Amino acid sequence: MKRFSLTKLFKGLNLTSFTLVMVFLYIPILILIIFSFNDAKIITGWKGFTLKYYAQLLKNETIQIAFRNTMLIACLSTLISTILGVLTALGLENKKFSGSKFVSILIYIPLVIPDILMGVSLALLFNFTKVNTGMLTVLIAHITFCISYTIIVIRSRLDDFDYSLVEAAMDLGAKPSTIFWKIKIPLILPGIIAAALLAFTLSIDDFIITFFTSGRGFDTLPIYVEGAIRRGTITTINSLSTIMIGLTLLLVVTTKRIRKIVISSL
Amino acid sequence: MKIIPENNPNYALQLATERKKNFTSWLLTAPALLWLIFFFLIPYLIVIIYSFLTADIYDVKFEFTLEAYRQCLTPAYLHTLFLSFRLALLTTLLCLLLGFPVAYYIARAKDKVKNTLLIFIIIPFWTNLIIRIFSWRIFLAYNGVLNNILLNLGLISQPLEIMRTDIAVILVMVYVYLPYMILPLYSVLEKLDWTLLNAAMDLGANEIISFFKITLPLARGGIFAGGLLVFIPALGSYLIPQLVGNQKSLYLGQVITYKVKNIPRNWPMASALSLILLLIVALFLIMFYVLYSHSKSRRRV
Repeated sequence: MKRFSLTKLFKGLNLTSFTLVMVFLYIPILILIIFSFNDAKIITGWKGFTLKYYAQLLKNETIQIAFRNTMLIACLSTLISTILGVLTALGLENKKFSGSKFVSILIYIPLVIPDILMGVSLALLFNFTKVNTGMLTVLIAHITFCISYTIIVIRSRLDDFDYSLVEAAMDLGAKPSTIFWKIKIPLILPGIIAAALLAFTLSIDDFIITFFTSGRGFDTLPIYVEGAIRRGTITTINSLSTIMIGLTLLLVVTTKRIRKIVISSL
Repeated sequence: MKIIPENNPNYALQLATERKKNFTSWLLTAPALLWLIFFFLIPYLIVIIYSFLTADIYDVKFEFTLEAYRQCLTPAYLHTLFLSFRLALLTTLLCLLLGFPVAYYIARAKDKVKNTLLIFIIIPFWTNLIIRIFSWRIFLAYNGVLNNILLNLGLISQPLEIMRTDIAVILVMVYVYLPYMILPLYSVLEKLDWTLLNAAMDLGANEIISFFKITLPLARGGIFAGGLLVFIPALGSYLIPQLVGNQKSLYLGQVITYKVKNIPRNWPMASALSLILLLIVALFLIMFYVLYSHSKSRRRV
């Protein structure tokens, strides 16, 4: 009897903490979304429904430029870091590769070091080499912090690779190039897509490394939002944030399978 | 691959193929390798060099000095280090305390619900960091939502001043880093052999005893991984203390950023502080590794 009640208590405790954490995780986001439709300049209370901040968003040129910059950097850094990821993962596939250990260590170190250090070190590199900060330096920085992730995700997919398929194809007389394009690439494609998606998200999300490498005149969305919060011009940020949350939701829901690969490989 | 004895004529052929394969591997990994050498390793060399230079308002003067390190060891900066350390530690502990029951609950849920529950944890994780911080500013502000609710309920007579305090910083830190703790904990708990728990309970242990004797020790890997994923970024965080904290208690990330971005600049100090942070992180990684392998080997005996 006593054991029964203890078990129940234990389960109840877990359910309670789960619910509380859910409330904790979602309350601020929900309030943000609700207040993006609030017809008031400050956040004191509900003054009626409006869409005017969404309309303002469409007229705001700075936000649109920041949005374009963010997308441009995210697409380019995703493309380049994914290509580098595929090449490196294929190179590391060879178990007898003499540089295997060195390359692996170099890939893992950026993952365990606080972001801010990569920001500072790149800022000093660009100062030392007298390179003007702007789009190019931001792109370099984003590729640098994405590569490790793309390599690790694609590599873990290659580790699960079933080589009997390749052997079967060889027995049937397939050429190495055919094997590569018709068997290997299609089978690791989910890993490649997962890696690209991860790189894209990381790039869009990054503030601190961009902050150190962007200089004046090249703002991404997170940089713009931080500046707007500091200046106190926050009315459009609610609506901008709501749209970005909506896009995230879309991404999470539509990429269920890909997400699984990301989780299992990290 | 078959092992061919040395006296076999095929041995030389195999050696040649292996050498060729090795060369191909170097070629394939070269782009990423060179990229990381140029944009990850060399920048740290520059940080090391800059930490020994003389500060200037806009730039550095190429004169050797240990001034930056001497300043880092003054009480003001040691206090910053202490604050950051305390913040990271508290964040990690609170995340573990909050995250464990959640991970446990999801891991023991029915397979059908599991994925949905996981999505709920992942959505905030994939939402833009700055947006999540901003949403807390709205929630906690002096005339914000929380104060309005509490005032209307009559629980307080005056608005609480939470924004721009250390409490707000901790709260938002836990909020942001919680998924980093829950996900590794979940992946360990999910693979856990629950029949062990059933066996223990059949033998008369209650849930609480079996939790401390079985679940917790077996989840060690997840606790270590989650701990590192929270503690290390928390040590160098800039955005959260900057947006919800105050300027009276500055954290390491803020001080480093100010020294790089604000005028008068002090790049040697930013470099020295960065290297100190790097050293602390390295020490922690080694400590975690030793503790983890020690606790693992002890279990086997």
